[in-house]
Amino acid sequence: MSFKAVITGIGMVSAAGANTQETLDSFKTGRRSVGPVSIFDTALTCPVFEAKGFKPRDPRRFSRTLELTFHAVTEALQSCGLTQDIAKFKVGVCLGTTIASQINDLEFYKTFRSQGQVPMEAIDRFLNGNLARALAGYLGVSGPCAVSVNACSSGTDAVGIALSWLEAGICDIAICGGADELNLVPLCGFNSLGVVSNVPCAPFDRDRKGLNLGEGAGVLVLENQEVSAKRGNKSRLYVAGYGIATDAYHLTAPRPDGTGLATAINMALQQAGLKAADIGFINAHGTATRDNDKTEGAVLARVFGPQVKFLSTKGFTGHTLGAAGGLEAGFSALALKEGWLPASPGFVNQDPDIGVSPLTAVTDISAKYAMSTSLAFGGNNSALVLGID
Amino acid sequence: MYINGIGIVFNRGRGVAALENALEDGWQPPALEEGRPVYRVAAETLKDKITSGALRRADRFTKMAVLAAHDAMTDSGLDQSIDKADLGIIGSTYFGPHVTTFHFLDEILDYGHKGVSAIAFSHSVHNSAVSYVALSLECRGPTLTLTDFSFPFQSALLTAKMWLSQERCDHVLAGYVEECGKVMEYACSQKLNLAVDGKIKSLDFSAGPVAVPGETAIFFLLSDRPAKKSYGKIEKVDFSPPGQAAVDLLIVAADGSTKDESGYRQDLKAGRSLAGYSALAGSFAGGSAFNCAVAALTLKNQTIYPVPFADVKSGPAQLKQLACLRYDCPGSPAVVELQSCNI
Repeated sequence: MSFKAVITGIGMVSAAGANTQETLDSFKTGRRSVGPVSIFDTALTCPVFEAKGFKPRDPRRFSRTLELTFHAVTEALQSCGLTQDIAKFKVGVCLGTTIASQINDLEFYKTFRSQGQVPMEAIDRFLNGNLARALAGYLGVSGPCAVSVNACSSGTDAVGIALSWLEAGICDIAICGGADELNLVPLCGFNSLGVVSNVPCAPFDRDRKGLNLGEGAGVLVLENQEVSAKRGNKSRLYVAGYGIATDAYHLTAPRPDGTGLATAINMALQQAGLKAADIGFINAHGTATRDNDKTEGAVLARVFGPQVKFLSTKGFTGHTLGAAGGLEAGFSALALKEGWLPASPGFVNQDPDIGVSPLTAVTDISAKYAMSTSLAFGGNNSALVLGID
Repeated sequence: MYINGIGIVFNRGRGVAALENALEDGWQPPALEEGRPVYRVAAETLKDKITSGALRRADRFTKMAVLAAHDAMTDSGLDQSIDKADLGIIGSTYFGPHVTTFHFLDEILDYGHKGVSAIAFSHSVHNSAVSYVALSLECRGPTLTLTDFSFPFQSALLTAKMWLSQERCDHVLAGYVEECGKVMEYACSQKLNLAVDGKIKSLDFSAGPVAVPGETAIFFLLSDRPAKKSYGKIEKVDFSPPGQAAVDLLIVAADGSTKDESGYRQDLKAGRSLAGYSALAGSFAGGSAFNCAVAALTLKNQTIYPVPFADVKSGPAQLKQLACLRYDCPGSPAVVELQSCNI
């Protein structure tokens, strides 16, 4: 194994919980916080996963996505003791998102469209809301900054980029992951694509009807081993590999044979110096759409064998888009540390077109390595290898 | 990391030849739209068999990106020999396909939450342009889109460098795409001092600079080995001031998109040779991406091109090392250093 980035901090917020402990509690008990949209008005009646335990501090000044980011980052930094003196280090910030990269402000646009002029408040909030720049400014850190907008793999790619930064010595510490709010615009968009379920989602299930949107933020603090050791950090968790490959097939559907995903998985394994058999479990993308789960399930079975141990946590969080990769990397790391995996909520019957089933009960594990996968609009596929010493 | 091919779509046309012509011919006034100057890419420029087939539904932002990426491949002369599994693509942008985003908002407002177009939605996603580039080139390597309002192109270069050094792929198409639209142009008119005469004066370094929105797509084919017609080498991407680095020419991206450009004066005081070409393509227009393309041509042709609205000696010169500098709004710098292949 050539390079390992130590995971020293983890922070998360989603419908599964407003922090790591609440999330683990939901995972243990199987509690699903799913229901109708309450944070904006919509004619759409599909269930969603709102982060109910999260309270925005200053919605006029900050986008909800940025507030979710700050919330998760605060927990992540507290968990690794980096609240006071973080600016002493060369810290990079790499975050993934979809919504924070767009001016999805309907009221702003409605006014502009009807009057030809509009106050600049929404534009200011947008310009000040670039997740990485805003966070770096807030923390007073001056390392590299990037925001990955690779649709649903954005969070995974942000962790992968951060891993590269640390390996290249561009920074000593990297704050990475992803965040996205529940927003009317993508809700309408996904609904128009016919991939939204009108019942709580059932990843990999034979009778799955599509995804439910969610919201949240998942953040990791990664450090190079030297800096981590000097700080006296005792974390045994690390990120060891990242793979990324595109399908070049379709704008919104995965390549049916899944070769792009298989390439990404193999690239991540290769970087980590591992074989497929070394991976103890996979936190799959598992959105519960017909296409995603069929392709992904088949690839997991092909690469890891028919006894593959995998799960989808979308049944707890919904599809959190740019946040998903950050959250699921965090979930995978926690599972390695805790020694157990949650069930995949919603799953009942195996789909004969997939031929493998996710975990259906809380399961004890003693794995050294895990993988987290993401598939995205535009045909991108990404995979992370996480490990524990 | 070597620049082995360049593709550009901008207000003066398409391709390296159009860029060379623009550099030699100098400034031309931009179009005036609703009384505001805009360096707009002409519709004619986007007409091509590449954009008329599988890309017929793609938006303007995507078509600009695809043409620039294809041209970079063709320009390199490597387009037939590169294994598409070893080709990566990294796009970067400030604002993404915002015209399509607002078109999708139109749909929500006009047809309700249940009546919107799936095509408009899927094309409004930031990475749709790079996805189309991958589709049209049948690329099977890594693809990524990056955004921020400071240095997205520099981040793309940095990532390309890491992908090559980590052997994730053998070649990377790294680029920058920006388009103009009514909302963005209105926001610019509110937030920036627009140049009523359309003239961006990159070497004035004013405390109240003027801007002209522009649109462009620029892609570079980057490889860890030089090709026959390589333009030069990207030696370094750094986020600190240029300091005393020994460069023969410093090309600055002072294009009026920040509120105060007087910070560039410190680089002038250091006795450097300076140049700035934003007047040829507009503010935001690739910023450093446009300047990198100019720098690559300057190195390859060993010629300093005339700098619009500034008294800078132009013509043949012996140039080994160039740098492109940009300061963002808060005043943070980013520098891209290029070297001649002959060093």
